[in-house]
Order: sequence, then C-alpha cells, then structure tokens
Amino acid sequence: MQKIEAVIQPSRLDAVKDALVELGVSGMTIFEARGHGRQKGHTEFYRGREYAVDLLPKVKLELVVTDDMVEQTVNVILAAARTGKIGDGKIFISRIDEAIRIRNDERGDIAI
Amino acid sequence: MREQYARRTDDLRAGFTLNGDGIACVEARSKLVDDMLSRLWGAELGREPGAGKRVAVVAIGGYGRAQLFPASDIDVLFCVEKGDPPKEAIRRVTQALWDCGLRVSPVTRALSDCERFDPDNAELGLSLLDRRLVAGEAGVFARLEARVNGKLMVRDAKAMRAELLVLTRGRHAKYGETLFHLEPNVKECPGGLRDANVCEWLAALRGVRLDDANHPEFRGALRFLTAVRCFLHYRHERDDNVLGWAAQDGAAEAWVGLGRVRPAAGQPSLRVDAAYWMRAYFRNARVVERCLSRELEAVGLQLIPTLPRKLRLTGQKAYRMREGRLELEPPAARDPAEEPEVVLSLFGVLASSGVPLSHDTEARISDAIPLLSAHLEEGPGLWLKLSAILTGPFAGAALRTMHALGVLDLILPEFHGIDALVIRDAYHRYTVDEHTFVLIDVLHGLQEKPAPGAPEWRTKLGQMARELQHPALLYLAALLHDTGKAMAGGEHAKESARMAKAVLERLEMDAYYAGLVLRLIESHLEMSVALRRDIFDAETVRVFAGKLQTHEALRMLTLFTYADIQAVHPDALTPWKAENLWRLSMNAANQMDRSVDEDRVRARQTDDRIDRVAALLLPGRKREIEAFLDGFPERYLKTRSAEQIRQHFELATRFDQEPVQIEFKHGQAMSEITVVTRDRPSLFAAIAGALAAWGMNVVTADGYADGMGVVVDSFRFTDTFRTLELNVEERERFVVSVREIVSGRASVEAMLAGRRRARRKTPKFTVETRIDFDHEASTHSTLLQVVTQDVPGLLRALSTTLSGLGYNVEVALVDTEGETAIDVFYLTRQGARLARDEEEALKAALLGAIRENAM
Repeated sequence: MQKIEAVIQPSRLDAVKDALVELGVSGMTIFEARGHGRQKGHTEFYRGREYAVDLLPKVKLELVVTDDMVEQTVNVILAAARTGKIGDGKIFISRIDEAIRIRNDERGDIAI
Repeated sequence: MREQYARRTDDLRAGFTLNGDGIACVEARSKLVDDMLSRLWGAELGREPGAGKRVAVVAIGGYGRAQLFPASDIDVLFCVEKGDPPKEAIRRVTQALWDCGLRVSPVTRALSDCERFDPDNAELGLSLLDRRLVAGEAGVFARLEARVNGKLMVRDAKAMRAELLVLTRGRHAKYGETLFHLEPNVKECPGGLRDANVCEWLAALRGVRLDDANHPEFRGALRFLTAVRCFLHYRHERDDNVLGWAAQDGAAEAWVGLGRVRPAAGQPSLRVDAAYWMRAYFRNARVVERCLSRELEAVGLQLIPTLPRKLRLTGQKAYRMREGRLELEPPAARDPAEEPEVVLSLFGVLASSGVPLSHDTEARISDAIPLLSAHLEEGPGLWLKLSAILTGPFAGAALRTMHALGVLDLILPEFHGIDALVIRDAYHRYTVDEHTFVLIDVLHGLQEKPAPGAPEWRTKLGQMARELQHPALLYLAALLHDTGKAMAGGEHAKESARMAKAVLERLEMDAYYAGLVLRLIESHLEMSVALRRDIFDAETVRVFAGKLQTHEALRMLTLFTYADIQAVHPDALTPWKAENLWRLSMNAANQMDRSVDEDRVRARQTDDRIDRVAALLLPGRKREIEAFLDGFPERYLKTRSAEQIRQHFELATRFDQEPVQIEFKHGQAMSEITVVTRDRPSLFAAIAGALAAWGMNVVTADGYADGMGVVVDSFRFTDTFRTLELNVEERERFVVSVREIVSGRASVEAMLAGRRRARRKTPKFTVETRIDFDHEASTHSTLLQVVTQDVPGLLRALSTTLSGLGYNVEVALVDTEGETAIDVFYLTRQGARLARDEEEALKAALLGAIRENAM
C-alpha cells in the first residue's frame, strides 16, 4: 500500500476526481490548502492599496492505493491536473504499513 | 415476560401502521411498561414484603407524560420516604426490564431530594414536572405530589424557567435558530417535540394546562409530531429522530400525521407529494414555535437575549412598546392592523430594533390580511417602506414574521412559491425561504465590526457592505433571488429574474436601479462558478469581469455570493473559500478598470445587442445605429439597456437643433444626468464643474466616446442641499445651466465662487491620496487612477487639471466607496499615450489640485 498526496490547482479538482473515479479509485480525502513552491506569491493592487498574495490557494488530495495501482493513479492525476503552467502542483508518494477499517476491523489491502 | 413484551410491541407497531395514531401508540406503550413494572415490583414485594415499604415507583419524563415512543428510554424514579432504598429489589426490577429489551434509566431519591431544583441536575428537576404513580405506596406518591406542587413548582419556578430558557436557547443555537431544516430533527429542532414539552412545562409552572379545549392548534401540532416521531422510531428501529429525505418519502407515502387512514393494500391510494407533506410538517412546527414564544411572553421572557426593553417611538400613535413587545393600539374607528402604512411601518421598527410583535398584534395582522390587501398601494411608497425594512439590522426577523403572518406574500406574491420549499441537494441545510432569510441575516452581520484579528477578507467585505451606495437593492435582490426555484426546471436564476421584473415594475423602480437588481439576480451564480476556475488566470478574470462591467455590480455580487454560500449551511463558507472570493473580486475590479479602453464595439460584427437597439427604431435605421455605436467601449453597450442606447442615439441625431443634448432624471436618493454631444477639449471638466457649481456631489460617472467623436457622459449624483428636491422649478433651470456651461456660453468659475464656503464636512475617515499610472492596460492610452478622500468638487478639480495640462480624457470611470473616491481616467496627449517622464509633473499638479479643492 502506498499513500499518494497530490497538491493541485483547485480548478483541476473536478477533473482529477472524475478521472480517479473512472479508474476505480473512489476513496480520497480532500483538503483546502494554501501554499507555494517555485510559483511564489505576488502583490496585487486594489483600489489604491497593496495586497500581498503570498500563499496561493491549492487543493490537496490524499489517497491510499495498493502497490499495483500506484503507477496508474499517478498517471491519471498527472494527466488531469496538468495545465502546463507554473503552479500546477506536486505529487508525493510514501509507503503505508497498515490500513484498518474501523467499522469491521478489516486490515490490509481489503480495508482501503 | 420478554416474549409477551415482544408480542405486544409487535401489536403496537401493527396498530400504528394501520391507524397512524401516534398518541394512541405512545400511550399504549406507556401502559404496557406500566403493567410490566407493576408486576415486577409486585413480585419483589412478594419476595420480601418489607423491601418496598415506603417506596413509590414513579414514571417521570416522557414516560411520566405517558408518551413512550417506540424506542424511547424509560425514566423511573424510586422515591423513598425514609431509610435506605431497597437496592437489590430495584436492581432486579431494572435488570428484568433490560432483559426484556427496554432501556431503563432508574433513579433513586429521597422525598426531600425532590422538593428543590438543582441547576446542576436540571434533568431530574424538569423530569419531575411529568410524574405518575406506577407501583408502590400511594401515600408516598401523594407526599411527593405535595412537595413538587407546593414547593418545587412554586419556590423554584423562576429558577426552572431560567434553566429552561438557557437549555432552549442552546438547543436552538445548535440548529441555527430555525425550524426550516431540509432534514429536521423532529425532537430537538426549533418547533419540535422538545419545544412542545417546554411549552407544557412553562404552562404548568404558571398553573395552566395546554388542553384541547383552549389550545386545539397546539394539541393538533403535538398529535402530528408525535405520529412523525413514532414513524421514525419504527422506521429506524432506534431513537433516531432525523427526518431524512428517504423518511420524508416514506412519511408522505404513509400519510403520517395527516389524520387519514392509509388505504389497505390493493385499495386505490392518493399519492401525497413529499414536498407537500413537509409543508404540513413545517406548518405544525410553526404552531409549536409560536406557542413557545407565547408561553415565554406570558412570563416576560424572550428567546433572543439582547433585545431592548424600551424604544423611543416618535411621530406615530398607532403602536407602542409594552413588556418587551411591539403592539398595535386597540382598534378605534378602524383597526390599525388593516392599514398597510401602519403595519409596514411597524415591521420597519421590528427590523431596526429586533423587538418582536406581541401575539395579539400578530393575530390581528394575520386576521386583517384580506383588508390589508384591499388597502395596499404599490409603487414608490411601498418600495420606501420595504427598503426601510430590508435595511434594518434585524431585517431577517422582520421578514420571517411578515412571512409567517402572510404580509410578505401579500406584497410579494412571488415569494409564496418558495414557502417552506424543500429542494433536495447535498449542500443546503434549510428550506428555500429560510435560506433567503439567513442570507439576509449574513449580509447584515457583515456590517458588524469584525472581531480583533479577523482575516483581511472579513474586514474588507465588511467595509464593502458598509459602503454600498444602494444596500436596499442588494437586500431586495437577495429576497427574490431564489423565487424561481418554485418553478420546475434547471435555470432558477433566469426564472427568478423574470419574476423579479414583475415586482420591480409594481414598485415602479427607477430603470438604473431595477437593472442592478435584475442583473444581480440573473448572475447570482456567476461568482460561484468563477470560483471553481483558476481565479488567478487572466482569462477567467476577464470573462467574469466582462459579465458585470461595473464596480457597483461587482461589489453587490461579491457580498451576495459570500452571504449565499454562508447561508447554505454554517460550515459551507470556509476561510479558504472566503479568501478566494475576495481575491477574485479584487482581480475583477482591477480588470474592470484596466480593460475598458481596449474592448471596443465593432459594428461590422454580428451583435445581438445592436440588433435589440435597432428593433426599437423605425425600420431601415440599423446602419445608423451601427455607425453611432462603432468605437464605443464594450462597457457602454453592456451597462446600458437597449432603450437607453436608443435614447442616446436619438439625442445624437438632434445636434443640428442643439449641439449639447441633455437627459436628466431626478431621483429621491440619486439623480442622473447624461450629456450627449460632440467631443471637445475640457468637456468632462465642464460637466463636472457645472455639477459642482450647483452643489451636486458626483457619486459615479462614466464618459465614453465613439469612433465619430460623439460623447456620452453620464453622472450620478446626490443633491447635497436638496435644491432640486425642494424646488421642482429649479430642475429645468439646472438643465439649462449645465447646457450653458458645457457649451461655453456661461462661466462655471463665477458660479463656483459663491459655493465654496458652505460645503465642507469633517470626514469620518481619512483617506490617503494615491496616484498611479499604468501604461500597459491600453495600447493607445495611459491609465491614471486617483484614490483620495471624496470631497465635493473633486472630480471637477481633477478633470480641470487634466484638461488644463492638455490631456484628453478618452474614458472616465468615477466611483465612490464610502468616503473614498476612486477615479480612473484613460488619458492621451495629442492622440498618444503619456511619456513616462510626464508622470511626476502630472502627479504633482493633481496633488496640488486635490489639496486646493479640499481647503
């Protein structure tokens, strides 16, 4: 099992979600987030005043998939989240030792 | 005993399924448990005769009321007169009941423990208000009765009422202070069974019973809610009181609470729609809510804790404030409840103070609806009254009361279709009408000072709300924005706008204001849609800003969207979303100022909007209107109605008679003057000067020119000295004077000289002046933005300085936010953009002009 964390543009969320559901990955957790990588922030002027836009809105998806699904899942996220512009986001992958379904105590792949 | 209990429970369920009588069901279950408890206690006395001496086995709480719902707990008091309680006997009885599948909550107390109310154990004190002897010694129960009636309910009545009020307020707060939930909890929600219990307890504490003879409506509501809760317990097979969508369908299908026997299998059945059934639920919940309010009023209490107890009501004699409520004076020759003027004025006071109406007044108004209808006059007078209600800080409370009494439906029949309307989706928590009222509450909440450390967006949105030029228009749009949901079909925004158009016509609203309201209603989802896109993408912002065109419309939509999301349910507007909303608004505002010079009308392209204007003219004039519009900024076309453009075009065809054509509209709050003429140097400055000379304060203005040098300059202004309002004959002289100044036949300087001394007011806020240039916004003009303190004469000072230095104003966009003037000019000099080294000198000249004008 591996955990995939994808930080993406909020405007790509629906497309990524739909693509994952089509792949058969329906369980995911979505967080509203803010941050920046190389994209950095910028300054806006509004009605004569300056506003720093230092942290940009992002959406973070977390999902845990079986090892054999990792590659396909990542490819689907890449395809759906990419706009080609700076700020498209990043994907992080890490190992998961165990998954437990609270309702019935199922463990391992079956629990995800 | 277990089998017997199971069998009789099945019988009860079958009986309820057949006859739908909730009261019979809960009473029968109480009786069933009474029998079991009596037998078990009797057995204990048989086993050990001394054990039960001086003990009364008392049903308390819901069981004490003989209202044991199918999955309710059973509260039993073992009341001991003196000595140790028979613990083993009590344990065995309780155990036996648990073994039968009953959830028993036993409590053992000495008689003396039952005569005082302990706020730390309020539950026991309140449950003692409903008590019945089930088994044990009648003498002990008689003494319990004496202590409860003679001491607890007399000495501690005030403390119990206070505790009930605290508990009720907390419970109502948990449910957003409203009964209109899409999936209500029939026990806990406002207007639910717990409120019904509170009504009965409050009545009992003042020695009254809410019986069928005197309170038939309340008893009817109680019967309905009891049936619903029984239905839910059987359906969920546990004490789950949430009336979810599937349960609503089931309840409607089974006609729960509707007082009819469901047809037997195979018999023809009338289908009851779930939405219809839910309206019956809300109607009954409303009865309970109103009964609660009445019971509280009877003992001088109110659910809302911070309302004033006294009000200064000047200049009217038709109503007064008494015991914390507003009430109409008694009927004289004619009942004031029948006079729309008085009733709407009364709701205006409610909206401004939050003080509720007395129940007698509510009843009189409700009864007078047919006569109110006959006496109601529509038009501007009605709008004046309605706008006073909408802009009051307690507008939501006033509108809810008006809705409940039928007054809102009377003046806005369009609202009737969304009365208690349940529209099922995954996000909304409230019915459509309640969502609307919550939205208005949220908008008013924005006007309150933000908490210390509040995020920037909250402060900015609050400021935006406080500085709206026409807040009543925003509230009216909010009130009507979902009326289209009453009609089947997907595009409710368009349908709502169509219905709103009829309302605005009845109110005879000014075309400019009506346009703002209609555009806001029609586009009320646009910002939510844009938020799902990349809000930092220039194209997304361009498209979004292009749909709104004016800062006023953008401000209204921003505030509306904030409140609309917040009113979906309390957690819908996360700080993340709110900040994105503010960012999008900011980006769109910047886009509006920076793009106007670039997007120009090209007449040769097919354009529906030009066709619509041509349709208003005699056939064969399309070419002429195309030539007139060619080269105007797109914003001109988008911010004017086809009829307004036709009028401007017609004015432009009369230059041979009079080269300066003027259209003037006087309004109570805001007037508008439009000058159509040929472009010439200092034109914008001349109009601004003429208005300043008359003491008019320009709030917004825009000036556009087409490709043939025809200029349309519009100024919306307030009349500082009410000159035109108080002297109708002066209006004509005003127009003539503006024409004379604009055409150069009169001097503005001479008129201004006499004006300057009398016009200064100390500003509430100090606005720091900021002057910026943007050479990239337009390919052929330089954008100049001046943000400074709004002072009468400012626009004239700026535009005169610009024209004096030889700059031509290609486009002007003048706006005011509270005390801040935000003036944007697209400038050229000798047909080209400004050189960058001109900036400093121009800036210094403008700062000098601003300083001089402010002196």
